[in-house]
Amino acid sequence: MDLRATRVVISSRDALEKKVNHVSFTEPHRISVFHVGLVEAAAAGSEGWAGRARSMPRLRRDSPAYLTPPPSPNHEMLSSFCFCRSATRRFSYPSAARMAAVSTASEAKEPQQPPPVLFGHYSGLMAQLGLCSNLTAQFDLSHHISNYQPDCSFIGFLGTHSTMTYFSSKTLYAVWALLRPYGTAWPMLKSYITVAKRLDKFKTTIFTQMSMLAVKHGAINLGQGFPNFDGPDFVKEAAIQAIRDGKNQYARGCGVPDLNSAIVDRFHKDTGLHIDPEKEVTVTSGCTEAIAAAMLGLINPGDEVILFAPFYDSYEATLSMADAKIKAITLRPPDFAVSVDELKSAVSKNTRAILINTPHNPTGKMFTRAELEQIASLCIENDVLVFADEVYDKLAFEAEHISIASLPGMYERTVTMNSLGKTFSLTGWKIGWAIAPPHLTWGLRQAHSFLTFSTSTPMQWAASVALRAPDTYYEELKRDYLAKKAILVEGLKAAGFIVYPSSGTYFVMVDHTPFGCENDIDFCEYLIKEVGVVAIPTSVFYLNPEEGKNLVRFTFCKDEETLRAAVERMKERLHKS
Amino acid sequence: MEAKLSKASRALNASPIQEISHLAQRCGAINLAEGFPDFPAPPHVKHAAVAAIAADLNQYRHVQGICDLLAVKMKQNHVLDFDPLTDFVICCGQSEAFAATILATIDQGDEVLIFDPAYETYESCIILAGGIPVYVPLDPPYWTLNVDKFMRSFTGRTKAVVLNSYSPHNPTGKVFSKEELEVIAAACCQMDCLAITDEVYEYITFDTHKHLSIASLPMMKERTIITSSLSKTFSVTGWRIGWACAPTAIASAIRNIHIKVTDSAPAPFQEAALAALQSPPEYFSSLKADYVAKRNFLIKMLSEVGFQVHNKPQGSVFIFAELPKTCLLSDIDFVKELIEKAGVAAVPGRGFFHGDCNDQTQQSRYVRFAFCKSNDTLSAADQKMRSCVGK
Repeated sequence: MDLRATRVVISSRDALEKKVNHVSFTEPHRISVFHVGLVEAAAAGSEGWAGRARSMPRLRRDSPAYLTPPPSPNHEMLSSFCFCRSATRRFSYPSAARMAAVSTASEAKEPQQPPPVLFGHYSGLMAQLGLCSNLTAQFDLSHHISNYQPDCSFIGFLGTHSTMTYFSSKTLYAVWALLRPYGTAWPMLKSYITVAKRLDKFKTTIFTQMSMLAVKHGAINLGQGFPNFDGPDFVKEAAIQAIRDGKNQYARGCGVPDLNSAIVDRFHKDTGLHIDPEKEVTVTSGCTEAIAAAMLGLINPGDEVILFAPFYDSYEATLSMADAKIKAITLRPPDFAVSVDELKSAVSKNTRAILINTPHNPTGKMFTRAELEQIASLCIENDVLVFADEVYDKLAFEAEHISIASLPGMYERTVTMNSLGKTFSLTGWKIGWAIAPPHLTWGLRQAHSFLTFSTSTPMQWAASVALRAPDTYYEELKRDYLAKKAILVEGLKAAGFIVYPSSGTYFVMVDHTPFGCENDIDFCEYLIKEVGVVAIPTSVFYLNPEEGKNLVRFTFCKDEETLRAAVERMKERLHKS
Repeated sequence: MEAKLSKASRALNASPIQEISHLAQRCGAINLAEGFPDFPAPPHVKHAAVAAIAADLNQYRHVQGICDLLAVKMKQNHVLDFDPLTDFVICCGQSEAFAATILATIDQGDEVLIFDPAYETYESCIILAGGIPVYVPLDPPYWTLNVDKFMRSFTGRTKAVVLNSYSPHNPTGKVFSKEELEVIAAACCQMDCLAITDEVYEYITFDTHKHLSIASLPMMKERTIITSSLSKTFSVTGWRIGWACAPTAIASAIRNIHIKVTDSAPAPFQEAALAALQSPPEYFSSLKADYVAKRNFLIKMLSEVGFQVHNKPQGSVFIFAELPKTCLLSDIDFVKELIEKAGVAAVPGRGFFHGDCNDQTQQSRYVRFAFCKSNDTLSAADQKMRSCVGK
């Protein structure tokens, strides 16, 4: 194998500057750097790095080095080391002068040979590590470093930039093993293997990426799923009162008793089920934590968990924290119905749980009674748990929300999760809860007790007031959202999108292909830059991103003026191709 | 259905402290068991929270200002340079910061050293991440670092050392001296391990002791993760605002985990944190002075009723006192009696010891008292203790 064909850079500039004296050199100037990981950045060559991540051949998802797109192009380290086909990127290496000043302080463990330059087709390296298939991006970096020292030795140091590129220990070891004969600095490599393997599947959230672009272009943000209006006064006042009353110390780990009973009352009203507030309700920092606690407390490494794609992006990452194996059943337009046959074939004796989200983010689908009954019978037959994420249950417009826990035989195997944030437009308060039978609650509480230990006390008091809101609150909430939805849906149709019906949540999925973009990410970037509106590309919500490339998600949890403005921009500036 | 629980969660047990708390509540006992204050939070901080709620700062947010202020404090207090944009992760309390740190750094089979005595939270967290907690006993009566035992606890699998000097998970109030920290630091560097610190009591240190973070020792900044929170400094343990501070790469990993575990710390309290962190120096000095007085009061009281207080705590709000020589009861029985007869609750010390590292009988001779209570509460406890104990 000709390592001259490979170039691997893994570093942070800080690390380079501080650590470089740990490496032994035979002569000054003999430095090169490794870079594993900007495969995804490189090949697409387009400006938007989110675009790169999607429009180019990906590493296999099961590869040990699942690499992620680089952070903002402004990130200092990345602009130093990022290489890509686009001529707009510049390389800058640590200056030759600085390198020249490096001493040969450290003892080499093995005799140093003059190492070759590594640059060029690092895809070759990746292929040889067996880390990716079908990677077609090839590029030659020699022209970039021809200005620098052609003969270099190695600093095999690995780091990550401030967001998101992680390398499994296996990858690092493999890279090191390849380079060892050429005299890399193993101790330095080892120092940087500090992040856990469970982060292999973590990536920059698409929301952050889109938000940054949105701010840059002054676009109207219909991407992020939280309101730009605030919660009701009576709830905020309850929180203020609680703070003034001194309710500022640790709450009981499983929740303030008053809130637990309010949750029980509300659940009874919604489902008819009677549950025990002490033993069957756990208050968490948002539904996000309820999901994390359920997974960590109830899933063993290697268990299979079935998800419905598209799914909220944190499910996959959290399941990988629990070391679960994920199987996804795709919900397809136009009605995103559950394919029972697919589901039946996915369930195996290793299936531990099925995760359902209804009303569903991002499609707006609501699971029908028939679908839930099918799922229920499969679960009972195969002794499978259900994790039900029902945060949008009060935003059920076109259909009745049904909690799967209320179906016969299901309560004993279901964890029902919900939160305050969406219903009361107070997403930043982080009040959520999980309802489950005692034996499942126990596992969940174990995880919760070390994840956050207890939940924000004053907000819990306010939440108990909120949950006792009269029916009129919920009716008004629905009315308001229906009006907003009408503005958005009509506007999207008029602008030329293919709009799929959304029965619940405050999201609408549309097909963007009438506008001629290759995929959802390209379309979203175009929408931000040329039209001034933000939507979320949905390919991130699938295990196989290809399945989502025609679809994007809009939200209508914004005030009417904002929605109208966004709609106008789209009607004016979007052109069908 | 029990089979549906994960193996990891089944390995964990219910907390003995909770049981005592329930008993204490039932008997209406004065609570010197739990480590949170019964006096109000400072007004300027509460006002800031109220104002934030009223100003509609109630949606998901990340308040960068907190990181900026923390970076300044790191520089002021420890002469450490951290980048506010990349090196801090705001979490739901130090609890979440610690959990996220463990999940971000500990893989299956990694060993983590914990100094004993210590509360069980660290252990649970490590086990759930697939790691192996390894306890390193400190030597009574002063809970000094036993260098030999410490060095022998390291193996090829050791990934991190947890330092809980300024933490409620350290019942003894012992703070590592500079020399001890240097030993620990040298070992971390030599064995290429991380140091994870829990510094929630960083402003509650006594005598001439200045809070020294191991990260400020040579070569340690790049391998130390500092976790802390608002809770104890500002008497708002229920607000859940904490943070992890680490070198960029590790902070990034922690942030990733945090985003999946809770995504954001409560928004209005993040805003209030800005006001809190900008409190004038007088706030911190009077906080210290108040706690010193409380500590001394409680030590006097305990000594005069017969407890052996070998180690005057140099930090945190707990006194780990050994039962009077004449008392033949075990720690649990003593505490139960104390609740029932004297109406004062404390925590039996055995729950803080692990393995057979210390003498078993030794382990059941300690009781932990908290002094983060109002002066009225402490006086009332004093009266009750004197009338019932040491007769």
